[in-house]
Amino acid sequence: MKKRTLALLMAGAMTASVFTGCSKQATPDPTTAATTEAAKDSEAATTEAPKTEAPTEEAKKVALNVSTTFAGEDGNAGNYQDAIKAWQAETGNTVNDSSAVSDETVKARITSDFQMGSEPDVLFYFSGADANSFIEAGKVMSIDDIRKEYPDYASNMNDDLIAPSLVDNKKYAVPVNGFWEAMFVNTEVLEAAGVDMPGADYTWEQFLADCEKIKEAGYSPIAAALGNIPHYWWEFGIFNHGTPENHCTIPESVEDERGQAWVAGINDVKDLYERGYFPKNTLSATDDDTFLMFVEGKAAFLIDGSWKVGGIAGACQSDPNDAATLDADKLNNFSVTYVPGMNDRKATDLVGGLSMGYYITKKAWDDPDKREAAVNFVEYMTSDEVVPVFAQHTASALKAAPKVDESKFNSLQVKAMEMMSGVTSLTPAVQDIFNGECRTSTFDGMPQIVTGKVATEDAVKEGLEIYHAN
Amino acid sequence: MGANIYKNKKPLFLFLVPAFAFMAIFLYYPFIQNILNSFKQIPELGAMDKGWNDPWYTNYVTMFQDENMRMALRNTLIMMVVTIIGQVGIAILLALLVDNIRVGAKFFRTVYFFPIVISATALGLMFNLIFLYDKGMVNQLLESLGRTELIDWKGENLALITMMLPVMWQYVGFYFVILITGLNNISGELYEAAAIDGATRLQRVRYISIPMLHNVMCTCVILGVTGALKVFDLPWTMFPKGIPLGETWLTGTYMYYQTFNTKNIDYSSAIAVLIVVLGIITAKVVNAIFKEKDY
Repeated sequence: MKKRTLALLMAGAMTASVFTGCSKQATPDPTTAATTEAAKDSEAATTEAPKTEAPTEEAKKVALNVSTTFAGEDGNAGNYQDAIKAWQAETGNTVNDSSAVSDETVKARITSDFQMGSEPDVLFYFSGADANSFIEAGKVMSIDDIRKEYPDYASNMNDDLIAPSLVDNKKYAVPVNGFWEAMFVNTEVLEAAGVDMPGADYTWEQFLADCEKIKEAGYSPIAAALGNIPHYWWEFGIFNHGTPENHCTIPESVEDERGQAWVAGINDVKDLYERGYFPKNTLSATDDDTFLMFVEGKAAFLIDGSWKVGGIAGACQSDPNDAATLDADKLNNFSVTYVPGMNDRKATDLVGGLSMGYYITKKAWDDPDKREAAVNFVEYMTSDEVVPVFAQHTASALKAAPKVDESKFNSLQVKAMEMMSGVTSLTPAVQDIFNGECRTSTFDGMPQIVTGKVATEDAVKEGLEIYHAN
Repeated sequence: MGANIYKNKKPLFLFLVPAFAFMAIFLYYPFIQNILNSFKQIPELGAMDKGWNDPWYTNYVTMFQDENMRMALRNTLIMMVVTIIGQVGIAILLALLVDNIRVGAKFFRTVYFFPIVISATALGLMFNLIFLYDKGMVNQLLESLGRTELIDWKGENLALITMMLPVMWQYVGFYFVILITGLNNISGELYEAAAIDGATRLQRVRYISIPMLHNVMCTCVILGVTGALKVFDLPWTMFPKGIPLGETWLTGTYMYYQTFNTKNIDYSSAIAVLIVVLGIITAKVVNAIFKEKDY
């Protein structure tokens, strides 16, 4: 009898253990606990504490669930950790941070979290099409709605620069740092090929002539993996057949004017491939492979985003995680300039903007304990003091952006600042609107297009049909 | 009373409940849900469905018209053959050789098994460097031997071989360990008797070792061919998105691509169902071909 009772107890315990993970009760996160302790002990946070309205003494200390993309190799991952430590130390609140590197998995997780009702209280996320699902579901608060109760919320931002939602044209995300896409140059290769550094009036014809010279000198003119990341050439190819005003207009069909512009833009990429300006293994290489070619002086041009400034500097360091190990001479071989222009697009019309920002979820807003803390957190992270730390050489939406201390910048960051000073317009990337399954035929299908296995017109038509069907 | 405890089997069922509950919640329920998902319209990962597809079997029709899917099935079939010949075949050879040596058997067991404990992603990155077009190990080696033209090992003509070689290399040790265990279970008396009767070493292998290993080999082949259907990590690390020109798709990598890159969730669910169905069919076929024998 005793044995039977013991057996029953053991089986019960084993069954219960299976369901332990399903418990909804929050358990303290050891990493958060460690962060909290560190924050309590930390008297000197690396980010200077901005003046924000600290909660009243009676305000309940809360644990805020925050998710951002400041993680992993993101250049601001360290700045973010410093900032949250400083905020915790100042307010006594804690942050349960679930930040992760921006990729498709994170996007899926965020979408899923909103679907399941387990979204974070504060979210740093894209303001384009990726946010449509949770904005449509009314799961985040608009800036205007927050201002009804907190009139000073994001008052230091230039509202005109905050991207509106594609769903209802309202503004939800308070931006921190922007991005730009431009053409990085390995000047050592240019010198070896006898090509001058391209400037603000760089045309497509000059670019083709330069590529030919570089190719003849035995180098690969363009570092790009068309089979892996054709995104930048796709974007600027199309942009070259449009204007900053109509670039983000998705064609209704392949036959209309914009549709034909898309076909012409992608055909320009095909033309570059046929002329042999991409690396020989462009269809089988990964983006990392071609980037390596660029930094090792085997390719001249690389179109990429502002985040690559850090990537190139990292490649010039003996320890990629330690800026003190930077080989300054090697970094001097790199520069950044405008993307060759064509038709009505000037070379200085670049792709860029403020595509991400801080959202406050309705779940946090409806929680009387968390509302104050969430607003305070976003105000802190988007304050005049914190934003410049994150924005560096990129754009921000601050009304009164403080002067950047260039003495702390490396040579490529300084060149990026100079390049940015000559930009005539920053247009959002159309691929941020035209995303998901619809871009498969022209993104992942780029190798088939450039090799002539699929007609450009058919690929564009297929993508547009999927886009409009959804 | 003392013996009754062994006759009463009810407590045994109670002990089976936790594992059953675990399997039901984390395997069978998701699997059934996945089958249902393959007939629905799901806009993105984690999103609620928008109802049934019209017609409900749309994804299964698409699958048979999809050129990439055909390529994935063809490559997976090749991968199965490579698994049987390259992995199990080489593993048999190595196991027989190691079984016949007296010194160093333990050393070789460890050496051959070692690749299994290394993460497939790490191996993928390593082989990426080995087969790198520019400054890759193999091309450097060929360069030092006087070759002037670089070979694109991941290019259209060689991609499949370059992808399958590391996969094959990685799992040889796994089957090797299973087979060597099987060889150790063969009674030494049989070999002694054969030796007394004048059988050579080769004859002992041919008439004792291989027949006695039949059932173990059958298990290895089933594990190999079903594993080939879902192999993912190493090929995806080396050949993301089926590069070049969709030549390296496998059923596992194509399912992942449809889920996370194109976000065609219902279609990827249908591919997952196909993988399971093919797994069951191939296991049955292998079982039928290599019928287990009683000795």
